[in-house]
Amino acid sequence: MNAMPKPPAKYMNPYLAGFLLGLTLLGSFLILGAGLGASGGLARIAAFSECVIAPVHTRASEYFGPWCDQPLRYYLLFMLVGTFLGGLISAMFANRVEFKLERGNKAPALLRAVLALVGGVLIGFASRLAAGCTSGQALTGGALLLTGSLVFLVCIFAGGYAAAWFVRRQWDD
Amino acid sequence: MIETLFAQDALATPMAFGLALLIGVAFGLVLEQAGFGSSRRLAGIFYFRDMAVLKVMFSGLITAMLGIAYVTAFGWVSLDSIYLMPTVYRAQIVGGLVFGVGFALSGWCPGTAAAGLASGKLDALLCLVGAVIGSIIFNEVYPSVALLQADSGVQFVYANLGMSQPVFALLLTIVAVLAFWAVEYVEHRRKTGICCFNSPSLKGFGTALIVLAVGLYIATPNGVKATDEAAAGAEQGALATPMPVTSGLLAGIEAAGDHMEPEELADRLLAGDPDLLLADVRPAAEFNAFHIRGAQNVALTELETYLQPYRNRGLIVLYSNGMTHPAQARDYLFGRGFQNAYILTDGLTGFIERCLKPASLRPEPVPEDTAGQIARWRAYFLDGARPTIPSAEPVQLAGAALPGLVSTEWLDENRAHDAVRVIDLRPQPEYNTGHIPGALHLDIENLRGNVGGVGSMLLPARLIGECFSLMGVRPFDTFVLVSGDKVHDATLCGMALERVGHQRYGVLDGGFGKWAAEGRHTDAALPSVAPSDYPVDASADRFTVDYTEVLQRTQDRFAVIIDVRPAGYYAGTESGEARAGHIPGALNRPYVEDLAESDGYKQFKPTDVLAAEYQKLIPSQDSPVIVHCRTGHQASQTFFVLSHLLAYRNVLWYDGGWSEWAARPELPIEGQPGHAGSAGALP
Repeated sequence: MNAMPKPPAKYMNPYLAGFLLGLTLLGSFLILGAGLGASGGLARIAAFSECVIAPVHTRASEYFGPWCDQPLRYYLLFMLVGTFLGGLISAMFANRVEFKLERGNKAPALLRAVLALVGGVLIGFASRLAAGCTSGQALTGGALLLTGSLVFLVCIFAGGYAAAWFVRRQWDD
Repeated sequence: MIETLFAQDALATPMAFGLALLIGVAFGLVLEQAGFGSSRRLAGIFYFRDMAVLKVMFSGLITAMLGIAYVTAFGWVSLDSIYLMPTVYRAQIVGGLVFGVGFALSGWCPGTAAAGLASGKLDALLCLVGAVIGSIIFNEVYPSVALLQADSGVQFVYANLGMSQPVFALLLTIVAVLAFWAVEYVEHRRKTGICCFNSPSLKGFGTALIVLAVGLYIATPNGVKATDEAAAGAEQGALATPMPVTSGLLAGIEAAGDHMEPEELADRLLAGDPDLLLADVRPAAEFNAFHIRGAQNVALTELETYLQPYRNRGLIVLYSNGMTHPAQARDYLFGRGFQNAYILTDGLTGFIERCLKPASLRPEPVPEDTAGQIARWRAYFLDGARPTIPSAEPVQLAGAALPGLVSTEWLDENRAHDAVRVIDLRPQPEYNTGHIPGALHLDIENLRGNVGGVGSMLLPARLIGECFSLMGVRPFDTFVLVSGDKVHDATLCGMALERVGHQRYGVLDGGFGKWAAEGRHTDAALPSVAPSDYPVDASADRFTVDYTEVLQRTQDRFAVIIDVRPAGYYAGTESGEARAGHIPGALNRPYVEDLAESDGYKQFKPTDVLAAEYQKLIPSQDSPVIVHCRTGHQASQTFFVLSHLLAYRNVLWYDGGWSEWAARPELPIEGQPGHAGSAGALP
């Protein structure tokens, strides 16, 4: 463990954080008329990347095709950038910016890296399939009491608990 | 009542982007403060080591749920102003399970990974890169997973469970508070918890949530009404077609699934079906080269936005050269809740082959009535300028052929239709004191101005398009033009419509006078208008001629020139212009002679009477005819009579008229009565 100039600040009380999260979501409903979202922004980055790599193919594709003219003109992409900035401001003030691959002390870095990447692929795919992620579908739709969003939320935890045991080594201390 | 950006359709504006960024900053601050910049902490929930995810997420969800329930109960915002995601059971079950596995593997979800990246976590970067790759993979396999996305519309869980919203909200709040207590207990026992077991703050928070949920139940025991309406509206989606769609035809389409046969499309277009929106999804260059008359060119990328107002209203027919793109577009639209989008069987190629190929070129023998039908289609779709109305049966009703006359009965039955726009051309005081409900007022002089030094010329197509955009009318609207005692106000408006390529209009037979005399409903309310962007077909005007062409015809006598001014002006005994008289060779047929007055309103004479009278002036229905008056205004009425009531196929309009002709001293005139002579003799 590297010595750090200042110890990181304590995390916020989770219920207070949750309450503030709820207020943020409520604000988003009242101002934008739509909830929070993160994977929508990632999908736009994906569409942008694919449009740059294979413009003709992507334009002809059914899902990204309609976005090809202006893939980055989408409010959720701006929200994603904001999320990064907000995280950066908070992490800096709390002395929590640290370049590292977070893993269990005894876990191999390669294992953790591969799992992070593969997990990311699954998340990216699944959030397109379900039209949202934990923020855009589970939290946003859950607060609106939409059936599909709550089903999605329950299934996330079912899938997570089913898989967690098999990948527990990455957190071995 | 708050109008959200979603409700204003303004989520793609710079202001929305700025606000989304700020909301994102708040979101990122909260996530990071909660410790969600750490995958280890996030993953802790799956090992019952650190239940922060559950605590933060559940308290956020309950807070927002109670918040939104309260603000809708207070009527500050309507649920209609908020984007409600449709429930897609299969996609959300499969997606949720896969997402959960991904969450456990990576320790991140997209939002937290953004906060994690900001905290310098390399695994967050890997996860985000993976998510981008995963999104691309989804795009690549989309056609094969699209069937998972058959959506069930907007579904509220409490309605599915047969509860009211406040009861469910109260139960969920109690479950959440119990869950908070349980996880604190588990963490306390395993000594992993950092806060909160039996803490006053948690007790206070839990109590507050339950009090608020109970308060919601007391305030609105049956839930917020808007919620029920939104749910009912979403459930009824397909049924909520407010348009009078001919049930027989609709049944025919339903039998064919998502296709419309070219013959049916051709007949509907010919009939001016106001429920039909025909979208050509080919590139603009191909569209401009040739398109099915009446089609709009809509880029595939803009399809959903463009068609949004017609979602489940009337019929949307998509076509391209073949069927692949429209079929994909149709499926895409279906996935977005459009249940009224159809594709044209065999595309444009099939339309040309089946409807427009001349009977003489067909390999199989063509029955006589089919041949007649093909001839009518060809005349309508290939001529482009005029629909051909069989002169034996002049059509008196809109819905049968447009442009034409529309009866007051037809208008009364159809005026509530979204795509029927009534334009009232009477003077403003008359309009303001009472008009056909929903009618838009238009001063006909708004469509005229000085063009090239000649006053009172019909404005160029671009400017007319601007006027129509401001009035919020759309290219597939059926216009009903209503005049007072000046029928030529309505027909001049018709000229403006034809100049921009809009053939779907009718003139109200008898005008406002007949409407009022029949005691039909009027009001004085302003119509509701959303500004539109009226696209102009700049090449549509093939009927306006200038003085050089008229001069040419006076010399070669290749056209019948009809001066529709009152007889005294034609004779030169009256004049308000530079010179008195008429164009050499012109015949005089005053426009007022086409009208008859009864019960205090003016109506066109019966078509057979008109046909007989014009037969004496014009050799055949194919003869070129130029109509003019002083400024183009009165002549528009004669143009309408000849082209649209009597099916003359080659009628031209000299807009500049006598005021221009007389003021150009180099142009010849005949001034003395009796000199009209042998005008109109055709070679």
